[in-house]
Amino acid sequence: MSNDMTASRPKETVIIWFLKIITGLLVIFLLFIHFVVNHYLAPSGLLTYTDVVQYYRNPVVPIMEGIFLAVVVSHSLIGLRGIILDLHPSKNLMRSVDWLLGLIGVAAVFYGLWLLRTIAAKG
Amino acid sequence: MDEATNKPSASNWLTWFDARRRDVGYWAFALNRITALGLTFYLFLHLGVLSQLSQGPQAYDHFIAMMKQPLFTAGEVLVVSAGFIHGLNGIRIALNSLGVANAFQKALFIALMIVAILVSFIFAVRMFTA
Repeated sequence: MSNDMTASRPKETVIIWFLKIITGLLVIFLLFIHFVVNHYLAPSGLLTYTDVVQYYRNPVVPIMEGIFLAVVVSHSLIGLRGIILDLHPSKNLMRSVDWLLGLIGVAAVFYGLWLLRTIAAKG
Repeated sequence: MDEATNKPSASNWLTWFDARRRDVGYWAFALNRITALGLTFYLFLHLGVLSQLSQGPQAYDHFIAMMKQPLFTAGEVLVVSAGFIHGLNGIRIALNSLGVANAFQKALFIALMIVAILVSFIFAVRMFTA
């Protein structure tokens, strides 16, 4: 294995590794709820605008979906970071990647919360 | 396959797809990674298209009608299947990471993938006949 040992490689820390496992298990749990309520408990499976607005009048729904969004976005971006780390990026590149992924995560969650509020407000 | 070419590196990316003389671990790793990328793509696509909900009833109902075409249903079956592969294999990874069931991780992987295939098939039938 050829390797320049001039600088240490950036790695996934134990905290992030553990967060990936915890969020992964949470995604399974929340995805199950997301599926059951969206396709079985919701009237006719949320396939019309009217049904969606009606369904989101229950405040538990946007809260649950908001938490699910934050967890699933975290898990996907931590995973994407791990894939990028496997390509042995330089420390400088990884700093930019971390900023970019953080920005994408925050933007995705804020966008989702805005959308949840917009739908809930129409009910 | 010697050690050097087996290490993930951007410069020898073509060898990633060389499936010869690979063991169960290679398939677990590869399937986990491919489904991860697919599901991440779907997640952001899903978030993006749901903005149709802010455009009012016509926009959303038109969008849903379009999604009922068989091509999109086929895509949704792929998403469901990737979800089961990634999720079930993820349970194994979580268990193994915490030191549980490491002695039979290969058998566990194969068993979970059989479950993933069966459940994907049931979903596919139900989604196309719904």
